[in-house]
Amino acid sequence: MTWLVFGPELFYLAAATLFLLVSLRARPNPKREYLLALSLAAAGLLVCVAGVKLEGALFAGSYRVDLYSQVFKVMLAAGLFLVICLCAELNGVRRRHRSEFYLLLFLCTLAMMLLTSGVHFITIFLALELSSYSLYILVALRREPDMGLEAGMKYFLIGIFASAVTVFGMALLYAATGVMRIDDLVRVIFGRADNPAVIIGLLLTLCGFFFKLAVFPFHFWAPDVYQGAPNQVATYISTASKVAAIAVFLRLMLLAGDGNIYLVHILVTLAIVSMTLGNLAAIAEQDLKRLLAYSTIAHAGYVLIGVLSLNSAGYAGAVFYAMSLLVMKFSAFLVVVQVAYDGGNLRIEQLAGLHRRSPLLAMTLMVSAFSLAGIPPTIGFTGKFLVFTAAMQQGHFPLVLIAMINVVISLYYYLLVIRAAYLTEPAEGLPVLPISGPIKSLSLAMVCLMVVLGIYPYPLMELAADAVRALM
Amino acid sequence: MPMVFASFPYLSAILLSCLVGLLVILLVPSERKMWIKWISAVFSGLTLVLSVYLFFAYDKSVGGLQFVEKVSWIPPLGIHYFNAADGFNLPNLLLTGIVFFTGVLTMWELQHRVKEFFALYFLLVAGVFGLFMSMDLFFIFVWYDVSLFPMYLLIAVWGTTRKEYAAMKLTLYLLAGSALILPAVIYLFVNSGMNTFDIVQLMQAGTFSPFEQKFAFIFLYLGFGILAGVWPFHTWSPVGHVAAPHAVSMVHAGVLMKIGAFGVLRVAIFLCPQGWHYWAQLMAALAAIGIIYGALAGLRQTDLKYVIGYSSVSHMGIVGLGLSTLSVDGLNGAVFQMFAHGIMTALLFSSVGYIYDRTHTKAIAELGGLSRIMPVASAYFIVAALASMGIPGLANFWGELLVFIAAFRVYPFRGVVAIAALVVSALFMLRVIQQTFYGPRNEKYASLPDVSLKVGIPRIILLSVLLFFGLFPSVLVDMIETASVPFITGLAR
Repeated sequence: MTWLVFGPELFYLAAATLFLLVSLRARPNPKREYLLALSLAAAGLLVCVAGVKLEGALFAGSYRVDLYSQVFKVMLAAGLFLVICLCAELNGVRRRHRSEFYLLLFLCTLAMMLLTSGVHFITIFLALELSSYSLYILVALRREPDMGLEAGMKYFLIGIFASAVTVFGMALLYAATGVMRIDDLVRVIFGRADNPAVIIGLLLTLCGFFFKLAVFPFHFWAPDVYQGAPNQVATYISTASKVAAIAVFLRLMLLAGDGNIYLVHILVTLAIVSMTLGNLAAIAEQDLKRLLAYSTIAHAGYVLIGVLSLNSAGYAGAVFYAMSLLVMKFSAFLVVVQVAYDGGNLRIEQLAGLHRRSPLLAMTLMVSAFSLAGIPPTIGFTGKFLVFTAAMQQGHFPLVLIAMINVVISLYYYLLVIRAAYLTEPAEGLPVLPISGPIKSLSLAMVCLMVVLGIYPYPLMELAADAVRALM
Repeated sequence: MPMVFASFPYLSAILLSCLVGLLVILLVPSERKMWIKWISAVFSGLTLVLSVYLFFAYDKSVGGLQFVEKVSWIPPLGIHYFNAADGFNLPNLLLTGIVFFTGVLTMWELQHRVKEFFALYFLLVAGVFGLFMSMDLFFIFVWYDVSLFPMYLLIAVWGTTRKEYAAMKLTLYLLAGSALILPAVIYLFVNSGMNTFDIVQLMQAGTFSPFEQKFAFIFLYLGFGILAGVWPFHTWSPVGHVAAPHAVSMVHAGVLMKIGAFGVLRVAIFLCPQGWHYWAQLMAALAAIGIIYGALAGLRQTDLKYVIGYSSVSHMGIVGLGLSTLSVDGLNGAVFQMFAHGIMTALLFSSVGYIYDRTHTKAIAELGGLSRIMPVASAYFIVAALASMGIPGLANFWGELLVFIAAFRVYPFRGVVAIAALVVSALFMLRVIQQTFYGPRNEKYASLPDVSLKVGIPRIILLSVLLFFGLFPSVLVDMIETASVPFITGLAR
């Protein structure tokens, strides 16, 4: 029964195929497609949760199923489910593209699941490309074709460039060692971690994932793509896609061993530049999605702090950070999607009077903003605290200090968002927002999650630590 | 580690009454303004009763930590939910209870977005209570930020003069403080090698090397010092106090600034005593400058609330001076001054609040002769102003006396300078009293009513507390000594 361990992936493959068939119908029925997608995503989440304990290896050892990959698969499935929850009014995408939209979402999720389990360079690269290509098209599905196409094109060009660099890095590593499976590589590299070919190869390999995470210098695409993509796609990119990138990133960092001084210096620099650049650029931003894009760049920097600690505490911190990003980024985008229900972009001043138009959404926005900034008692603080502690164990005091100063900078623009929602009064004619019951309970649930997991994060921390133990 | 509860968890009950109060307020429909106010009064009254009970139930003959509550929270990182009461935090808990309750009463006439105001106000105070009672570094940091969380909206929505600017400045300054605190806290945690955030365990001598203590101390001192209004990081405080609504000014100047001083004491001084000795000169210098600067700046203000704001800077300098003397008297005086200044400032802001709500101005030049229009309202302010000058018979006198005696011994020059500054501060308070309450009266306000007994309740409470501890200072000093004497003698060994 070795195929059983492949269950979640097979489920998503079947779901994607189903939508391929649905998309062939001449007369689309968006309502029914939405319900189908929602139930499939919910079932997929259940399948992934049921498969958490699965373990095994497939395809001649190039595909590894362990607690680490399964935890990430649950996160990805949850991300997909949450994004589809927001698709009831999919006004950003044309009616006849809806089924392709779902097809690509499921396909992309499948590819990311493959990424989390891939331990062979070929598997990793194929999965990376599959997920990237799905996203390129998803971004271009925007109702206004010029906007979507421009964003999709930008994403595509920078994306293939990053992929090319990644392949080159993989080739260098292969040339230096003669093997392509990560566990073999770890064995061969052991003791030779300061070999220039290995360092450069690893660094170039990581570039593809720098791109996905939007780490400097591969961050250019983020604001434009978030702005140009349909809101739901932007939500997906900033949640699930980041989670998958973190998963592979940590797996590749196994190659760095536990003390590669050059690599650590480079990562420290990238982390500092990403945080500072993202936060400073976000200050001037008026478009909420672009602002969130810049905050994503900053968050990529914080994730790097956990990664560059090169210890299990740091990796567990990064895994926890991925979970927290999923929750808090989604909450912020939930507000974007609901306030801009016509599927357009959302400027900060359009949040005016949100506290009257919908007190619940205003509260969701406030809590997610504080969480993104990393103010306790929210889940965002716990994530930062964990990666900071891990970095401090390696003696990175200045890095932690700079990161905290960045938290102060970021609070400034988050407060501007909160100010718009709570202080400014709505211009005349802005009606009470029509928010459906399920969305209300969803946003209440997200607020509770952010606060409760901020106050009592222990179970989630244990899960992250267990996952990392399976990885190491 | 199993749970440890010494007795009924009074400390958690205080926190719970804040949080349950918050939840109940959230559940009441926002049109029911009177319900919300009564609920706030009941729950804040409950915290006051509990804190008064704790203050008098604490066994001074035994001393040490009492009412201990300890639950393991995050075992892998050694984080505990660890609350305890000792001679240092009990006066502050009592202070918070009093200011919280009287603050709710001061805001009784609020009509604008009542539900949100009291909800945020409860959250703010929950953070303050939590910080004072916690003995775990992690929780101290978390509570610090919980008390910061609602400040922005409280000032920006309900405030007055330049409120958005003030709210942003205050929030960012205080968060900058936490940006210095958190790295230092993690640094201490990692370098202790004990994998615990428990302050009592970390306090053991020899845990930290002298270098580590000096290094961490300066970050902790500056981080908490920003909140304590230490010169030159005080600039948020007058601006913030002026802009904030009355109850928030009361909590902010009365209690929140004490959090900063208390953090310096509880975290920086407790964990890094050698750092304390090393940096004491700097602390004393900054404190002395703050005392003089606050007094001189106060002399030139034309806005009643700015006057109080700058006098707070000056008075918090006295607390800082006390903390820098490395002596029992200095610590006693500092904690006494925290308490007395908290009550006194709350009374000042509460009185100004009444006057402002009637006259809609805080400009000293526009007022004038108020004592003939509203004699009772004026009396509250004047008594508080006398307290701030350090008149014997009111609580502040004792705090200042203790600090200055200690400061004279250790820093003769800075002590003399600081006392000279007191004369200036007396001058500016008298100037304010003369211009606001005496002289020709402004006919525009002649028909305004005086404070009725009912509206005056919060001020009466604050005033009687000032008088009580002015006449019986030993109640408080004995309490503080149960903590300060063992701490200082413990260091000598």
